[in-house]
Amino acid sequence: MDKEIPSEDLMARITEGDEYAFELLVGRHQSSILNLIYRFIGDRTKSQDLAQEVFIRVWQAAGSYQPKAKFTTWIYRITANLCLNELKSARRGRWFPFHRSDGDSENAIEETFSDGSPTAEDLLLAKERSRQISEAIQSLPANQRMALVLRRYDDLSYQEIAKILDCSVSAVESLIVRAKRNLQKKLAPYER
Amino acid sequence: MKCHIVQKKLSAYQDRELELREQEQVTSHLLSCRTCREQYAELERVWQTLGELPEVQADPFFYQRLTKKMEEPPKRLFLPVFEGFFQRLRVPVYASILFIGILVGTYLGNFLTRDGLFRTNHVSHPEEMTDFISLRAFDPLAPGTLGDGYVRMVSYTGKEPR
Repeated sequence: MDKEIPSEDLMARITEGDEYAFELLVGRHQSSILNLIYRFIGDRTKSQDLAQEVFIRVWQAAGSYQPKAKFTTWIYRITANLCLNELKSARRGRWFPFHRSDGDSENAIEETFSDGSPTAEDLLLAKERSRQISEAIQSLPANQRMALVLRRYDDLSYQEIAKILDCSVSAVESLIVRAKRNLQKKLAPYER
Repeated sequence: MKCHIVQKKLSAYQDRELELREQEQVTSHLLSCRTCREQYAELERVWQTLGELPEVQADPFFYQRLTKKMEEPPKRLFLPVFEGFFQRLRVPVYASILFIGILVGTYLGNFLTRDGLFRTNHVSHPEEMTDFISLRAFDPLAPGTLGDGYVRMVSYTGKEPR
């Protein structure tokens, strides 16, 4: 029953202070938002904090949400802006970029193998692979990274990405072309 | 379609962002061109590799933590009025520090230069320090120096000195 209510309608209820509607909305989108942030910044703990921040902003800004805009575009825009701002703040405050703790990939991989099937060697190889891929993504400039993550993992069209990043479709295409080229170079040494 | 055109479109082709006609043209080209096909295969390999990055699961208590966080008052260093005030002060403060630094540097430079380089035993009055250029211009130059030669040259009248 709850899955039938469109997110746009849930937002209308949230505007009136409906906390249950907010809980449904969070439950529906928390995974996609969390993974978008995680793939962008590569830090699991920070991703949880930022994901919470996204939903706090959704709650606070519910009144400004225009139903004519697709909800996912709106929430992804909030998420993208938060991620890009966080990256800028991190660069100002630190000498080193976000550094993923060793536990991050291990936890994510163990969750993937949650049926208990892998050997220790499998886990080690998967962990190393995950680290290589994450590092390659982290090496991309911020806008290329965001465009690529939205395309590859959220399967959004160039037009949708353009609305989220507030740029043209051709700019999105250019970002993704360059991102793929950079990733090819970065991942080439690790290709089997 | 020529190779260089197809290669530019491969990324959009992979993402199914080309118009239908272009998509078909690229497909047709890839069937017959090994070079472009290998380039496309490389793109596909990267794309598949990216898919190996695992997902993370949300904390099962995510919503509870979220509502708890929303109930907390926002952390502020100052009252909101002062916070905005100090935010706006940032640029003028940095500009003032830079300006003061330039002034201090200029003063120190003048002070050290005057005291270190131009102080002589013959200076009996402080005001001579400020007029040293005008005074020294009239000091006799040591014979054989470049300055002495120059003065002789510009004062040469063509008449033999008596």
